[in-house]
Amino acid sequence: MKNWHWIALGSLLIASLILEFTYLADYASHWWNHVPAFYALWGGLGCAALIFISKGLGKIFILSDEDYYDA
Amino acid sequence: MMLELLSVPAVILILGALVLPLIPERIRSTVFIIFPLVALAMVWTMPEGNLLQASFASYELELLSVDKLSRIFGLLFALITAIGGVYAFHIKDLGQQSSALAYAGGTLGVIFAGDFFTLFIFWEIMAAASSYLIWARGTEESAKAGMRYLLVHIFGGGLLFIGILLHLSGGGSLYIESIEPAYTAANIFILLGVALNTAVPPLHAWLADAYPKATITGAVFMSALTTKSAVYVMIRLFPGWEILIWVGVIMAIYGTIYALLANDIREILAYSIISQIGYMVTVIGIGTEIALNGATAHALNNIIYKPLLFMAAGAVIHATGTSKLSELGGFAKKMPLIIGLYMVGALSISGMPFLNGFVSKTMISGAIGDAHLEWPILLLLIATIGTFLHTGLKLPYFTWFSEKKSEFEVSSIPTNMKVAMGMGALFCILFGVAPQLLYSQLPYPTDFQPFSVYNFVEMTQILVLAFVGFWFLKRHLNVSSTISLDTDWFYRQPADIVRTVFVEAPNNLFGTAENGALKLANKLSKFSGNPMKAFLPSFIMEGREVRSDGFTAPISAALAFILFGFLVAILVVLL
Repeated sequence: MKNWHWIALGSLLIASLILEFTYLADYASHWWNHVPAFYALWGGLGCAALIFISKGLGKIFILSDEDYYDA
Repeated sequence: MMLELLSVPAVILILGALVLPLIPERIRSTVFIIFPLVALAMVWTMPEGNLLQASFASYELELLSVDKLSRIFGLLFALITAIGGVYAFHIKDLGQQSSALAYAGGTLGVIFAGDFFTLFIFWEIMAAASSYLIWARGTEESAKAGMRYLLVHIFGGGLLFIGILLHLSGGGSLYIESIEPAYTAANIFILLGVALNTAVPPLHAWLADAYPKATITGAVFMSALTTKSAVYVMIRLFPGWEILIWVGVIMAIYGTIYALLANDIREILAYSIISQIGYMVTVIGIGTEIALNGATAHALNNIIYKPLLFMAAGAVIHATGTSKLSELGGFAKKMPLIIGLYMVGALSISGMPFLNGFVSKTMISGAIGDAHLEWPILLLLIATIGTFLHTGLKLPYFTWFSEKKSEFEVSSIPTNMKVAMGMGALFCILFGVAPQLLYSQLPYPTDFQPFSVYNFVEMTQILVLAFVGFWFLKRHLNVSSTISLDTDWFYRQPADIVRTVFVEAPNNLFGTAENGALKLANKLSKFSGNPMKAFLPSFIMEGREVRSDGFTAPISAALAFILFGFLVAILVVLL
């Protein structure tokens, strides 16, 4: 990842936040529309939760050796 | 009647499968593509209505029922079969080509079936023809996986058929129409049969088991046809069955978690199918007009980008000979075009604005929002994040961009494969920037507008933050040489016991019984040859053997003399 990649992503995020707080300020069709930057939070937390939950489940019982069924 | 059958698109493709062996090898691939194109033109020009009837026993079958829903599915299936034909243009394997055409024919037959019997027959043709696409890989692993795939689908077909028979004997209609949500035995069996092909957990394991082991080109057809045709049947039969709402949400999350864990690139994509079908099943459960439109639109988009992703994965396998993330990496510079085309499909499926996934995913969230079901929206968003993580980031990063994990050659990829991928990507972009092309073909009229500021803000924030999360947590993702245990464990692990109890034990029993019967027959025939021998055994007297079943020479001579005397007497009397 080069610096300009991060800058591009950052500007996209900032643009979406500006739109959220100006154009969509009064928009409310779901309860979470009142939470600022909800989708950014949901995206980040959801991503971390998925990675760690799948890792945990994989350790507990899902992942096995490739020759599991042949052994 | 025979000529009228030629107006059925499914028959054209199945006829194609039968004609292909007679075509010289050098033009066979071209002829392969002509059949789905003819079917495409037929579907395009057919009027709506029930176009062809046939009598079977006391039933009037509807072989060709066309309406908006079946037409758009038919068009997309014919189109993707033609594109798949371009992708497989370099393949000379007649068996694969014929079975792919028969498989697509079965799919079109299911789509235009107006009654349960026609549906069931084409349903089984699909299962049988697609099995060969797994076996054609020619490895021991694919031979076993193909057999499991076939057995599971025969089981699913059996469930469906039991349901149909119960439905008919209970006074239900032979014709395909939506079923009222009532949990009768007939409805449950039909639902289970359809759910198996829709890959609803726990009936889904065949998909992730078989698709990664199919041939490179076979998996492309499979990823488009089986599950999406089952979704079509579900839209027809089970709209508004509320249980499907949560079944769909669970599917979406379940597929995501397994896709995040998978090491085989086609296994990631296979689990991602299950996750995507979850979205469709959820809105089928809602059953409103916009919900069914959303399910249809998402299924149609899946018919385009799933094969595109499988084509790119196939290109990787073709070039490197491996499909495992634990062995790939470090050759992004050698296939920039393939990566670009893959990313079009991957970003489409992740819901990036101006690609086709966005226009159907927003419709689905809209439909769920209208039904005031908040948690399904949030949970499906988690599945969207997961989709971006595994298909949009994990797979391309660890396949092409991360450090090289083993030594392999990168051979060149046939042009026809790239052309087919280009066609798939073109439709992803086309429907993404001009959603009206898609929306105008949906079963119900809609004025849905996907390009709203709200939807842009939502997807931008989700995708940017999911990317950031991936970048900093990617070392926690599994790329080791492992496999995932899934519900196929229940029929794979006890396979030896099942074989012992249900195959070897009856075999041994029959074998023992057969040997016993043969021995007995042998003894009886010997005994009945001369029963005297059993009652008067031979013995030795004064040094000579006295045989109970034989005669001494003098007695034989005497008997012969008496016989001769009789003969003479008869001659004297007669003359």
